[in-house]
Formats: sequence, structure tokens, C-alpha cells
Amino acid sequence: MQRIVIIGGGFSGINVANKIAMKGKRKDISIILIEPREHNVYEPHYLFWSFNKDPLKKFTVPLRKVLKKGVQHIPAVATKIDKKNKSIDLSNGETISYDYLVLATGARMAEEQVDSYDKDNIHHFYLTKATEELQVALKNFNGGTIVISPSTVPYKCPPAPIEFAFLVDRYLRKRKIRDKSTIKFLYPLLRPYPEARVAEKVKELYDKRGIEFVEFFNYESIDKENNKVISLEGDEIEYDLLILIPPHEGHKVIIEAGLGDREGFVPTDRFTLKVKDHDKMYAIGDGTNLPVSKSGAVSHFSAPTVAKNILLEIEGKEPTAKYNGFTICFVVTSPRRSMLLFFSYKYPPKKFGLHNLFIYGFFKKAFKIAYFKALLKGYL
Amino acid sequence: MFMTDYKIAIEVDARGSFCPGPMMELIKAIRQAEVGEMLSLLSEDEGTRNDVPAWINKAKHELVELINEDGYDRYIVKKLH
Repeated sequence: MQRIVIIGGGFSGINVANKIAMKGKRKDISIILIEPREHNVYEPHYLFWSFNKDPLKKFTVPLRKVLKKGVQHIPAVATKIDKKNKSIDLSNGETISYDYLVLATGARMAEEQVDSYDKDNIHHFYLTKATEELQVALKNFNGGTIVISPSTVPYKCPPAPIEFAFLVDRYLRKRKIRDKSTIKFLYPLLRPYPEARVAEKVKELYDKRGIEFVEFFNYESIDKENNKVISLEGDEIEYDLLILIPPHEGHKVIIEAGLGDREGFVPTDRFTLKVKDHDKMYAIGDGTNLPVSKSGAVSHFSAPTVAKNILLEIEGKEPTAKYNGFTICFVVTSPRRSMLLFFSYKYPPKKFGLHNLFIYGFFKKAFKIAYFKALLKGYL
Repeated sequence: MFMTDYKIAIEVDARGSFCPGPMMELIKAIRQAEVGEMLSLLSEDEGTRNDVPAWINKAKHELVELINEDGYDRYIVKKLH
């Protein structure tokens, strides 16, 4: 009997656990998922949730409802990974051993690095509590300058701040305070998206909706006294409400085990998804250093590779399954419209639905249903 | 001047990474470097040829030299402030 332990029960961890449970022979393997939370949150919905107050349960699901038979959930935090003895210390005082380890720990939102988030005018939408506070701030906003900026790269879902600008424009128009407001989108690059053709389309739509784009703005610090955000390049932008995407980094348990790079992300073979220089250890999702976006779509398309390679190894075969970096991405341009992009290791983002179609907007919203009913359960 | 004549404090190998990877790697390195130090960025991404010089100009650092190596470019950058 081989024990597969998965640290992290976000989308990546759940998906891999379920795929192994579906494909593996139950008598040969045991699967343990270590995750302190009892629920899974559909994180892409935070973007939309910033503007409404749907109950959280509308986009969360209890883990017990999505985990396949054969997956044992331990509700605890992994506090230490002992690579030599192949064991993991847990926050409940237990120590468990493993034969195969999957690191699905995700990215930690390092809010403390900004040290300026407050209930008044500096917010983000990457965590539940933070988004709830942003809902209040947006409701209380009655005109002025809204500034949107990433703090560092990489961050989860590259188009999210771009999309936020589109949605906040619509929100302010609906409240009839758009004419009293300025929206500024700050970005580290020369254009508002890495790929030129997509950037051109975003810029065209921004111009049409009066959203100002500030190029080459790499966040450096905040002058709270004067309500200014300052860039590495020396620019200073005044704000009344600042939406600052928090810095992302790897989790402490990864860093302390010596499994992270400079930012705590796990060096991972981009094809086999094995952790570099470690046998029988794999990594998936936002906690890796893969040269692709940190997104649920990447987790979805790479999970079969992790599951397959572990099962191959258990059978005594070479882990030959490869992830080619393929993923897709919707860029929301209004509550009802999106653009669809796809890309892989071999090519930069290609436009697919750059026509800003209603149908893609529908897909993005309908995706929540597919996520809970099929993707989390490992069916697709 | 040959590459070996530069005293490089930090070398960033961003080959195999598409835009904005190379530029963001350079920005990270600039943050770490001391004023006056030289950095070397290796990139095979074509978009970088436009973006990196434009960013260096905007950020008021110095692009000392752009060297076309075999299948990739080497940017020699000096941190000025």
C-alpha cells in the first residue's frame, strides 16, 4: 500500500486527489489531503463579489461534498515537511508519513508586506475578509479617484485587475457617479496586457469607457498621509480609493523545508511537474514556479499529469506524462462580456475570442457551475 | 567592448520565458542591486527588445549595451539611482 499525501486543499489539491482516487486501484493506494478549511471557495468569484453581497455560501462548497471515496481529509495545517524521513508534522500534533508527496500549497497573500491595507481606502479582492471590506468601501465611495494596481508579479489571474477596472466603471455608471469619478489602471508594462493584440483591445475599450492607463508603473510604496501611490520609476499617483493586488509568495512550510525558490515558490519541472531534485514529490498550482499564469485553468489542465505520473511510478514505470503548458483565460470586459485567450509553453497568448462576445461572458459566469459540479470532482 | 570586460553583479537568465517574464525579472534584479552595479539580462523573447530599452529609459537607468549572442540577446544594464 502506497500513501499519497497532498498538502493543500484548494482547487489543485482537491482535483489531484480526486483524479488519483478515480484512476488508481484502491487496494494499492491511500490518499490523504491536508487542508485546514472545511470548505472550498470558488475564488474567481471574488472579482464579482466586490460589487454585490451574495452570501458566501453561493460560491463555496463543503469539502466532504466534493471529495471522492478513498480520499481522507485531515483538517489541519502542515507545519513541517521532513524530506529525509518522509513525514509531515501537523498542527493537531500528529505526524504522518508519506510515500508520495504532492505540494498544492498555493500562493500566500503577503498582505503584511504592504502594511497599509485599511478599512478606509486601500483594499484588494483576493481574500474573503478583504473583499467584504472592499464591498463596504465601494458602497461608501461617492466620487473621486479609484486607482487599481498590482503590487508585484506574479499574481493570481493576470487579467483580474484589468477586469476590475471594467467592472468598477460599470458599477459607477449604474450608481450615476461615473462623471464625478476617475479610474486609473497602473501596470508594470508598456501596455495594459503582456500580449500586444490583447493589450490593444483592452486599451481601445479603456479609451471608450474613459479609464486612464498608466504605463510602466511598478509599485514601490504608499504615502498614506498624502494618499499617493509611488512607483519604482518615480511616478506618484493620487487616489481616494486604492485597489492594490497583494504581493504573492510561497508558504512558510515550503520555505522552511528548503523547497522554495527566492519567493518561496516550488521549483518544478515544467513538463513532468516533479519537484526539481526530489524523487516521488510533485507540485501543482499557484505554489509552483511554472512559467505560466497562476490560475485555476492551469491547475485544471496540469492535474491529469500529476495524477498519471504518480500512478505510473506506483506501477514501477517511468513518469512519462507531460504537461504542455496549455491553458485558457477569460478577460471580463463588462458584467456580460469577455474575451477568450489560450496559450501554452510554445506560444504566447493567442487571441481566440477577441471580439468581446456576450457568449464568453456567459461562459465565465456559467463556469462556477461547471467548477462545482464537474471540475472539482475530477470529472473533466 | 567584450562581455568579459563588464563586472556583472547580477545575471538574470530569462531565456525560455515570454514577455513580460524577462522584463519583470530585470526589475526584480534592479531592486536587489546596489546603485552603480551592472546587471546582465539574457532573453530570447522578441517583445523584450522593445520593452526593456523603453523601461530602462523611463526608469532612468542605463542600457550600456545590447549584445546579440547566438540565439538570444544579452542586455547590459547599469543601475543609476
